[in-house]
Amino acid sequence: MTLLVVGLSHRTCPVALRERLHFPPERLPEALAVLQRRLPNCALSILSTCNRVELYAHDPARDIDEVAAHLRAFLAEWHGVSEEFFAEALYDRRGPECIGHLFRVASSVDSMVVGEGQIVGQVHDAFLAAQTAQTTDKVMSSLFQRAFAVSKKVHTQTRIGEGKVSVGSVAVDLAVSIFMNLAGKTVLVVGSGKMGSVTLKNLKEHGVGRILLTNRSPEKAAALASEHGAQSIPYEELRARLHEADIVITSTGSPEPILGKEDFHEALKHRGQSPMFVIDIAIPRDVAQDANDLDDLYLYDIDGLQEVTEANLALRRKAVGQALEIIDAGVAQFVRWQQSLVAEPTIVSMSAELNAIRERELEKTLRALPDLSDEQREEIAYLSKRIVNNILQRPMSQLKQEVADHEAPHTVLHLVKRLFGLKEIT
Amino acid sequence: MIFVTAVCFYLAAAAFVLAAVVALGHAVADRSAWLPVARGLIVGGVVLVVLQIALRTAQWQALPFTTLNDSLSLFTAMGAAVTVLVTRHPRMRTVLCFYAPALAAMAIVNAALGHGFLAEAPRPLSGAFLVVHVGLAILAYALFLVASMTSVAYVFQVRHLKRRTFSTLMQNLPSLERLDATLFRLIGVGYPLFVITLVLGVIWAWFDRELLGEWWFLSPKIALSVVMVVFYAISFNGRMMGWLRGRKLAYFVFCGFTTLLITYIVMGVLDLRDYNFWGGAS
Repeated sequence: MTLLVVGLSHRTCPVALRERLHFPPERLPEALAVLQRRLPNCALSILSTCNRVELYAHDPARDIDEVAAHLRAFLAEWHGVSEEFFAEALYDRRGPECIGHLFRVASSVDSMVVGEGQIVGQVHDAFLAAQTAQTTDKVMSSLFQRAFAVSKKVHTQTRIGEGKVSVGSVAVDLAVSIFMNLAGKTVLVVGSGKMGSVTLKNLKEHGVGRILLTNRSPEKAAALASEHGAQSIPYEELRARLHEADIVITSTGSPEPILGKEDFHEALKHRGQSPMFVIDIAIPRDVAQDANDLDDLYLYDIDGLQEVTEANLALRRKAVGQALEIIDAGVAQFVRWQQSLVAEPTIVSMSAELNAIRERELEKTLRALPDLSDEQREEIAYLSKRIVNNILQRPMSQLKQEVADHEAPHTVLHLVKRLFGLKEIT
Repeated sequence: MIFVTAVCFYLAAAAFVLAAVVALGHAVADRSAWLPVARGLIVGGVVLVVLQIALRTAQWQALPFTTLNDSLSLFTAMGAAVTVLVTRHPRMRTVLCFYAPALAAMAIVNAALGHGFLAEAPRPLSGAFLVVHVGLAILAYALFLVASMTSVAYVFQVRHLKRRTFSTLMQNLPSLERLDATLFRLIGVGYPLFVITLVLGVIWAWFDRELLGEWWFLSPKIALSVVMVVFYAISFNGRMMGWLRGRKLAYFVFCGFTTLLITYIVMGVLDLRDYNFWGGAS
């Protein structure tokens, strides 16, 4: 009955070991087939990402230690290493701990970058691979479905995924804090640094209106302008046209600042004090730091942007507590559901017993009424089924609930079996 | 009737205070679902004050605008109504963290002054002309109250952006441009209204010189009102012509409101609002 996960992650080992034990997506079906041969009738799934390698199993028939040993041996054999190679990094979580672990993974609480959105897709892919390889069962499928539901709830009800954590997207967030709408805004890119291009790409995705580009080398400027669909302007005109830009991105290789406070003072005057956002990603910096003293000018260098990413990460971490509450509730609900499954054989048996009685009595009745038409016979048979189903409906749902809530579910089941005279079911 | 009116008076104050608690709770706990609750409480407060004014009007057969409590009630209700209008855009909801405490402060001051005024008949305003004058003045004050809180939010946002100190509240606030546009819209309505109010007041004072005295225009209230109008004139015209915006505009708007507070509340409490301050009235 117990669920099990055996694996390692960024929390327990370095990237070198994770790389060594990684399952490429195209080899997952084969890996699952090999593992299934080792553990026939065992539900299996493999989650392999750059940050974790985890093998999930559910086998009601086998001893859980035996299943865990098989999973470890498979991991070693498949990758051609000894078990000692990864023994220290390996974790082994069972039952509610395993359920909670998958819920935390899918909700990105356990991710390297808390709140990232990729992991739920990767968990989904792992589940799809297992489904395709037909290595899932009712419990395993429900576990993954529930993990997706919990993940969705965590992301919609907490702020775990909010606040950007990359420099490029933080620049967009800051721009949105300053400007009502990025559409119609003009971006001026000075230089051809890679980070500058990344930031521009992010701003473009948010629909900035016009892009001006300048570089000391006119050829480079023209090439970049055609790449980004921008308008290239001569470097000599930089100061004269600075006022046209709402957002300025600088990333030149200049050893000295290329723009000073006075340049921006003039630009702001020209703009009627309409705000300017300056992103200086160059090292050494392109913009004199005292420019930030100007009202209506917001200057961020690379450290400033990093500070924001750190602050956003801190906010995400703050949301973890709330996320864990949702996860714990999800685990409790899943455990209850799983426990209620214990009642299923008894329910099946109860239903079979009552239906056997129904059929016996129905046969006697129909024999005593030989003049009935076929239609009438069918109607009586249907009536008897409806009666039995109605009688069973309430005890069945009540039994599931009792078994899920009861500390000793087998006592409840034993009583029901005695009441209905059911055979012992294993 | 007085008991029911008093219930409305105190319940409205409680609604505004609770709205402030909920809005500030959102600022701390970052629960965006709380903001509609705060807004709902403010709407409830407005309804209760309107009910209070209606009951008082029905009881005394006169519009209750003249006592300090009455005008504070109307001021708070109008400020709350403007707040509800301004925050109808979801992006503006977080500014409730600034608006709601100001409304609560007004309600607390009013409640602290007591409900004894409910047993007194309001001094009737002599004619529709004066009703329009007082009504427009209080509406302009309400717009200035909301504008001043918008300017506080603006300065808060600027400081965080400049100092690179990030908080949940800061990240949820609308953009500086949106705050600036809201600020301009508020003084864009409030300032002309106040100018109309002043003109109406001057016309009334001209015709009613015997009541107000010869030196009504030198009374502290008028003098401070002129100072206030200078602040808003600079803010409105400067912003319209493009040489005053952003943080400086926010400071001007806030200074204008501080003058209003002194004119309206401090002088009211000290009983220095009399137009006949320098004597001469019959």
